Amino acid sequence: MTEHLDEMACLLYQEGQMERARAREVSAHTEECADCRELLRALGSETKLLKRAMIEEDEPLPERLAALPGRSGPPLPWIWGAVLGLAATGVYGLYSGYLEPVMGRLDEIGFGGSDVISMLIFQGAFWKGWQSMISLIQILAMATMAGTAALFARRWLRRPRAMAVVLSSFCVLLALPGGAGAQETHLRVVGQHAYQRQIYTLQKDEIVKNDLYVVAGRVRIDGTIDGDLVAAGESVDVDGTVTGDVIAFTKNLRVKGKVDGSVRVFASSLVLSGPVGRNVTSFTEVFDQDAGSQIKGGVTAFTDSLSLDGKTGRDVLAYAKQTTLTGLIGGNLKLKGRSLSIASTAQVQGSSEFTGKEKAEVSPEAKLGSPLVYKEYKEEPRRWASHHYGFQIFWTLGKMLFGLALFLLLPEFARQTTGAAGRYGESFGVGLLMLIGVPIAVGIACVTMIGIPLGIAAFFLWLAMMYCAQIAVGAIVGGWILGEAPAGDVWALAARMALGVVVIRIVFYVPHAGGLARLAVILWGMGAIALAVYKRFQRGTPVLPSAPAAQPA
Amino acid sequence: MIEPAEAVQRAQAGDAEAWGEIYRQFAGAIFRFCRRALPTREDAEDATTEIFMKVREKIGQYDPSRSFSAWLYKVSANHCWDILRRRKGRQDKETEDVAELPLAHPAPGQLERLIEQSTSEQVRGALGRLNPRARMALVLRYYSEMNYDEIAEALGVPRGYVGVVLLRARHELRQALERPEALAAGGTR
Repeated sequence: MTEHLDEMACLLYQEGQMERARAREVSAHTEECADCRELLRALGSETKLLKRAMIEEDEPLPERLAALPGRSGPPLPWIWGAVLGLAATGVYGLYSGYLEPVMGRLDEIGFGGSDVISMLIFQGAFWKGWQSMISLIQILAMATMAGTAALFARRWLRRPRAMAVVLSSFCVLLALPGGAGAQETHLRVVGQHAYQRQIYTLQKDEIVKNDLYVVAGRVRIDGTIDGDLVAAGESVDVDGTVTGDVIAFTKNLRVKGKVDGSVRVFASSLVLSGPVGRNVTSFTEVFDQDAGSQIKGGVTAFTDSLSLDGKTGRDVLAYAKQTTLTGLIGGNLKLKGRSLSIASTAQVQGSSEFTGKEKAEVSPEAKLGSPLVYKEYKEEPRRWASHHYGFQIFWTLGKMLFGLALFLLLPEFARQTTGAAGRYGESFGVGLLMLIGVPIAVGIACVTMIGIPLGIAAFFLWLAMMYCAQIAVGAIVGGWILGEAPAGDVWALAARMALGVVVIRIVFYVPHAGGLARLAVILWGMGAIALAVYKRFQRGTPVLPSAPAAQPA
Repeated sequence: MIEPAEAVQRAQAGDAEAWGEIYRQFAGAIFRFCRRALPTREDAEDATTEIFMKVREKIGQYDPSRSFSAWLYKVSANHCWDILRRRKGRQDKETEDVAELPLAHPAPGQLERLIEQSTSEQVRGALGRLNPRARMALVLRYYSEMNYDEIAEALGVPRGYVGVVLLRARHELRQALERPEALAAGGTR
């Protein structure tokens, strides 16, 4: 053998990775060839140097690794304290800066004691703080940009620090005073016109040949709209003509003019005096149809007080506490509520049906197509209760089965989620951020057309997380009762989850505390799920091998 | 002190104390592994924490008839390699091109002198300037003492290519030892 061995052959020989026959050849060659023998020796020395350099304990174990990770979560717990504190500050800022004024105005305008939906529907339409909301959106946009920057700089900014920086920025910006126009009504008209006034009036001789969207303190339509009118404001008066639909979100809507299409309204009161070409749909406290009004289509009303004095061409379907009928109904009348009074001038050409607590007062002079059918409303509390509890049991079983399916299909994710739920501080902190932050982010995303699909997807994901929160928390609660599930035993974990879900749902029935428990479970569970998802996206999911086939060399 | 095998067995049954013992026994070694494999100390600290959290979650999958430390290193290798792969960009493209270049046969005497003159500290410094795959290969082989099959699996390369990866890594290391500035741009530090 005259040629020298190549370095690869020497390395494989020296590392014991060569086939036996070839190794014998190499061995024989190195006995004769001093150069190759020397190369082999040098490679061996290099190996020793590498091993020595690597195994030397040149650095002590960092202090933050001295504590056992696991239930207590990753180090830097102060960060999560800061996160919670900042989130609480943000929530307080939102409450005191935005929500409290809104609630204060509720009483001023007579919506005190209304439910949340009423507040959102009625108050939101004519709240004079939209400019502030625009400022808030700008602030959130800045916070989003800061977050994106932190994401790019994450190599230098450690993740928890980056999060703290973003939150700090958010809170600091939130604390900044609002713009000068905070108390001005923001008017936005999409379509032909844009106005910046408290009162918007479409003059009598004006014609808008398009849909008109208007937000103002008071909206008055004396002219003609050749399209739909979508209006929001403290009061909306339509004295002119609308060839399309009228859609209004307001305190008071008065329609004296002519509407060729339908009227759909969310308002405190609706007074209808003019003709309506199609249907009326009303979510109001008071709905008055004057004697001179004529609705060619039907009426669907959800209201406290309903008074129909004019003419309605087709059916009337209403859920109203009190209904007074003095006018004409061309179709059927179907009502649910507390009381019904049918005056002598009333006329119903179709059938009449009333379900209520009090028997209807029907004048003998009233002209009804068929005798009124009265059904007494019975609460049947016991039957309802049994249905209610049956439904709850069914719901709990459904949740347990859903959780079981999740645990079996995604055991790794389930394990990560329950692990994250075990880190209480983090889970609650992140849960609080998710509960508040995601809807805000969805709102921001939906401001732009491009962001709408993303916003909707995020919203549904958020709902799914809220639904699954009980499952994650259930696994932890079950673990408290039965002890921690053996590692890798998905069925044991699922059994704990099932038990935990039952316990949680029982706790929900405790008066007062049940509501708090619900909130806590949502925060805790959503946080745990978010942390597990974050972990998966952050570091990926490397496939964990089973034990090696052979012992390491 | 609990024996490692017993600690693992008890940890699998959910014994928190046993888990603590496992952590105490292996945390230092795994931190050093991460320190050798990853570019910065902060990365190594984060990765160590995450590896142990992962191991705790996955410990039920461990087969007690095999070596626990070998399994632990495999989990660690996968985790660190995953981190490095996520950071690859233009830099990896450059190193792939470099990997195609032929290797010069070393002069045995010169290599011996280089090794004699190099200290462990210098080697660690040079190691930090290698491209991620070269560094990872050397760490897996000479720190974790993985065999070629395990290295191939961890790095996702054919088994027959492991020797090439290791040899090229050694060449890069020698170059870094001879000319510290030469590979400075190629590393990830």
